[in-house]
This record gives sequence, structure tokens and C-alpha cells, in this order.
Amino acid sequence: MVKVVVAGGGWAGCAAALSAAKAGADVMLIERTDLLLGTGLVGGIFRNNGRYTAAEESIAMGGGDLFVVMDANSRHRGISFPGHNHASLYDVTTMEPLVKKVLQNYNIEIKTKVRVVDVIKYGKIIKSIVLDDDTVVHGDAFIDTTGSAGPMGNCLTYGNGCAMCILRCPAFGPRISLTAKAEVKEIMGRKADGSYGAMSGSCKLNKDSLSLEIREQLESTGVVVLPLPEAIQKTGTLDKKACSQYAVKEYAANLILLDTGHAKLMTSYFALDDLRTIPGLERARYEDPYAGGLGNSMRYLGIAPCNNFLKVEGVDNLFCAGEKSAVLVGHTEAIVTGLLAGHNAVRHCLDMQYLEIPSTLVIGDFIAYVHEKMATEEGLRLRYTFSGSVYFERMKSLELYSTNRSVIKERVGNERLTDIYNTCLV
Amino acid sequence: MHNNMSHCIDINSPYCPCLLADTNHCVSCSRLQGKETCDCNWAGVCVMYEKHWQPKKHTSRGGEGTVVRVEVETEYQVIQQINQDTYRLEFNLPDDFAKSLDKAGSFIFMRKPGDPDFYHFPVGIMKVNQNKIQVVVEAVGPKSRRILTSGDTNLLVRGPYFNGVLGQPWIDNTENSRILLVAGGMGQAPALAIASKLMKKNNKVTALLAPGYTGEIFVDIELIELGIEVENVVSMRRSGISRLTCLFADHDLVVSAGPDEQHYGVIDAMALAGVNLPMAATNNATMCCGEGICGSCQKETSDNRFIRTCKVQTNFMNLVRD
Repeated sequence: MVKVVVAGGGWAGCAAALSAAKAGADVMLIERTDLLLGTGLVGGIFRNNGRYTAAEESIAMGGGDLFVVMDANSRHRGISFPGHNHASLYDVTTMEPLVKKVLQNYNIEIKTKVRVVDVIKYGKIIKSIVLDDDTVVHGDAFIDTTGSAGPMGNCLTYGNGCAMCILRCPAFGPRISLTAKAEVKEIMGRKADGSYGAMSGSCKLNKDSLSLEIREQLESTGVVVLPLPEAIQKTGTLDKKACSQYAVKEYAANLILLDTGHAKLMTSYFALDDLRTIPGLERARYEDPYAGGLGNSMRYLGIAPCNNFLKVEGVDNLFCAGEKSAVLVGHTEAIVTGLLAGHNAVRHCLDMQYLEIPSTLVIGDFIAYVHEKMATEEGLRLRYTFSGSVYFERMKSLELYSTNRSVIKERVGNERLTDIYNTCLV
Repeated sequence: MHNNMSHCIDINSPYCPCLLADTNHCVSCSRLQGKETCDCNWAGVCVMYEKHWQPKKHTSRGGEGTVVRVEVETEYQVIQQINQDTYRLEFNLPDDFAKSLDKAGSFIFMRKPGDPDFYHFPVGIMKVNQNKIQVVVEAVGPKSRRILTSGDTNLLVRGPYFNGVLGQPWIDNTENSRILLVAGGMGQAPALAIASKLMKKNNKVTALLAPGYTGEIFVDIELIELGIEVENVVSMRRSGISRLTCLFADHDLVVSAGPDEQHYGVIDAMALAGVNLPMAATNNATMCCGEGICGSCQKETSDNRFIRTCKVQTNFMNLVRD
């Protein structure tokens, strides 16, 4: 039996564990906090713009399990807000146990409150990893989905300090990168001004702290757009955001709230005193990060150099996904890369040829394009997502963007990749 | 335990971040070692963060620099002469200073007031009772003899320092277990402090005592009063170590208080008996500054790291033998 160990239980790690298990591996998923999903515990947006195409491609390729639970647990479907169409919002407050259940159904061994602290490497092969209690876990292939956000020292130097986000570094300990422990030099993303890192792009307000009117509108339509008084319109903060698909003018002139269970506020941070001058938000308080009045988590401070199979350069049996694999933004992006990394990890163990998704499919083109762009200095200053910014433009110009399920299914079929993730390789 | 085992003893204490953080030599924090991104392994409050707040902390206290240990003047009393050169001393310290020393492995630096700084020498704490501190001093070197032979009983005490026992997390975290305490010679003094900590956690302790070069067993009665089963031997080398091989079987932890030769003897005896118990051992490194700066206490570990044992915890078994 081949053994695949996944470090990091965010969306990318969950997807990688899932596809490795589907391909027939014995999978262990390690998460340092007590909850899976990582920033997926506070995100919620999917299927907006090109993410719809990517999600449908994954479903056609047989990796749809996670999208199915997200769809089933959505509070709103097919909503529009500035710059975005046909978005779905899953309920962030109830998502985690459902995903855990899906993974457990595939017999994935989930270890929470366990931290990977070191790797044992022989030449270019990782033999095993060391956990915080000194346990040594052997594996045939490893997947680094530890992300690139935080910990506190990075948030302090490159951002405004620890804002007490859902990653909860002070309580559960810092992010430790498998790639860095395997002595691979990591890449750092940059802001538009060239400085390192980028700040997470949204905060969450406690819905009960909003006025009844706003709450009711949120619950029924999913979106509330509040014009910002000119005095408190922020300028110059947009280019610092991680999520460039939301770094558009409308977001500076308006406050956009989305109903994801919390009231998702589409800005990195917003001074609480200013926020409370807006009608309806007089009693507002933050749900995530708790110090959302001051800042947010810093990301892209440890990206693994990898190829289009998502294998980390310099280590033969280490794969990566999600933010760890490129300057990516979003749950959908994490899941599609996670599925590929998990699948290829199993292929590595069986000495099979790696799966590379062709550029006729949006996922394949996305991975190849991002890696090509990241080789340049300017490319590291951009963010890549199916839902906006440079890549969505490219999707449209290449006619890869589609919301037609049968068209997407046919494209996957033409590449003979239908149900590829559902195929047991072992 | 692994994490605690290789961490700085002062991490997240009032003495952290210390002077090492000012010069990019912090033991724990990669950022405070001059690296560009975080790469630490510490699941407590971020040292970098504490460093960031430090200047602000200090303006409110009137612009002091990095927190350094306190130094207080006091007067000692000889309460027991153990042999010709060995004395048990008692002195008073301010309440909070005394309280901070009530910890297994704590030690202080002592010198005569008026002597140059380089006269100070480390002394392990034997007993803390309210604000009365007891230590045992063997007046053989130029520094310790200054204190006992110059006529007056004035004393400068600097502290607190904490890394007197390597493997201290075992002592702090072992409960309801059976512990074998091996103490020889001057090691009897810290052994008393360690034993009283262990007994507070409902452990069953067996002690094996030897007089060592001191020539006297001087803690047996106090150990028995704590409820410890005490066995005295004439010589650790000749009879103690072989007696140990029979005792290991019933125990969960070994604590060795004494010279390094004794620690090695215990390790070899464990190998001979085919047991592998966790071990805590007193730290006998030569110390001059106690702040991780001078390097006199530096030791090499079996994985080729150099650690300054005045601050950094490690498993004694991992040290390369001198």
C-alpha cells in the first residue's frame, strides 16, 4: 500500500488527501489547529466568474466531492456583486464538519492539533516527517499544503502585526513549511510596490452586531452594498490586498457585505471607529480577524518552487498545492491544485507518468500560466485567480470561460480525463 | 516534550527577549537570527512580537534597556560546615526574587560587594523557605574563597537563572510516577530542590546518595522528611552505579545530580541494564556570564549543534562527552 502524508488541513490539503485516497493511497492528513479548512473557515465565495468553469472541470474529472458539499451547504447561489457574477456563498459556520465527514468516508486518517516540526531526508527523498511529540511518520510521498500565511513575526514585519485571524498562530503554534525544512529555497510574493507579502483581502463582521435592516437584506439577497462616506474612503490600500479580483474601484467607494454566515466585508481591514460611522453598522464588531480594525494576515511569504505536476523542485517525493504552489487566491484554486497534487503523489509512488492537465482545460492553462508568470519579477506582484484580475481576462480571451456544464464536460472528455480522479491507481 | 527539550529556558519569561535578540543571536526566533522570514518551532507567544513591544514596555518604565537580572546586596550566615572547605549558607532576598528561585534548576551568581564583575560564580539553589535561601558553597577556587575567607559576610547576589538542570521539563511535567534520584557530592544541594518539586506532584521518589569528594552525605535527613526512600552508598563509582542497575526496572524517570562522570555512569548503567529511561541531569558547565553571551558554557550536541547551556535546554544524553 502506498502511504501519502499531507501536511496542512486547509482546502488544498483536504483536496490533496481526497484525491490521493481516491487514487488508492493510505492517507494521513495533519493539521496543527483543531479545525480543518484553514482560511476556508472564513471565506465562502466560490463559483463566481471563472471559478464556475474550474469547479465544473474538477467535477467532470471526478474530483467533485468537495464542490458537491459546498453546493449543498450554500446559503446563496447565483448572486452578483460588483465585478462578480453567478457566485455561490457557502455557510462558513457549518462547513468544516461536513468536509471532515467526506474525508473520513474515504478512510483518511485526520490528525488535528499535531504539528510537523521537521523532515528526515535521504538525498532528494523525504523518508519521514517528525511531529511535535517526537513521533516519526514514514511516507512514500508527502504533500506540503502548509500555505504561505503568517506566522506572527511575518505578519508583524510585512503587515500590521498579528490581527488574531482564524489561523490562530499564538494558540496552536506557527506555520512550519515542509518545503523549507527540506531545505528548498522558497519564493516570496510581492505587493505592487515591490515589498514582500500581501494582506488577506476580507474581514468578517459579526452579523448580530449589524442593524436589523442590513441583516435582513443580507439573509434574503446575500449582498449589501453600502456607499462609503467620502471622508473615510480608503485610498492606496487596494494594491496591498491579496485578492486582486476585489481590488477594484467599487470596493473603495462602497462597503460590500456578503452573507457567508458571517457578514463578509470585502476589505483587508477597516478602522472600527470609522466603520461605526456608517448607518446600520453603529454596533459592528469583527468576527475575523478579531483585530480587523487594525490589520489582517500576511500571505505569500513561503511559496514552494514547483513544476506543472505540482512536484516541488529539488525533492523527488514532495508535492505542493494551494497557496504553497503559487501566488493563488481562493478555495477553488486551492481545491483544483490540491486534487492534482494528491493524484500525482500517488503516481510518484507507483512510478507512473505524472498527470499534467493540458492547457485546453482552464485548470491546466491556469497552472502553466501562473508558473510562467511567477518566473518574472512583475509576475510575483500579481495575484492569480479564476475569478478576476489578469487570469480571468485571459480565460475570456482564450474562450476557456464557460458556464455551460455540458460544454465543460465535453472538453474534459476530449482530453480523455473524464473521471481521472475517480480511478484507483493502486 | 521534544519541543521543550531544545528550547531556551528563558523563552516567554520576563527575561525574554534578551540581549541576544539585539544582536540577531536569539536561540529560538529565525527573524531575530537575521533571517528574512519566520522559521521557528515555538508554540508559545512569538518572541519577535515580544521584541517589538519591548521598547514600548520600557518607555512606561522610564526608558530602561533590555530587562536584565536583578542584583541585590545581602548578608550570609554559615548554618553548617560540611567539611573543611564546604559550607551551607543562608541569606535573605527580597520576596519576589526569592519566589522566582523556587524552581528546580534555578541558580544565582554570587560575589563580594566591591569585587570586580568577573569574580561572580554560579551557585545552585538548595532550598527556598519564604525569603530565606540556602546554598552550598565549596570554597576551593579564587572566587568562592573570596566570599568565605575575607572576614565580612556581605554578599552580592544576581539572578534568577534557571537552566541548572538539563531535561528540566521532565521534572516540571512528571506526575504520579516513580522517580530514581541519584545524587553525589555537591550534587546533593540541587537534588534537595529537585526532590521537593517532585514530591509536590505526587511522585514516588527513591534516592541513592553518595558522599563524593565532599566526603559527607548532608541531605539524607531532609529527603527522608520529604517522604523519600533514601539509600546511602559509600562510593557512587564503586558500589552506587552497580546498585543502580537493579533499581532502574521500577522507575519512569532518572534524575542525576552530581558531576558529569556520575551522569555518564548512570547512562552507561542504563545501557548495561538494557533500559532507556528519560533522564534529567544537573548542568555542570563552566559559566561566566549566564546570559548566553560569553560562550564559556557552550557544549556540542550529537547532531552537531553548539548550545550555550546557561540558557538552552537539551537532553543530557545528546551532549557529546567531554
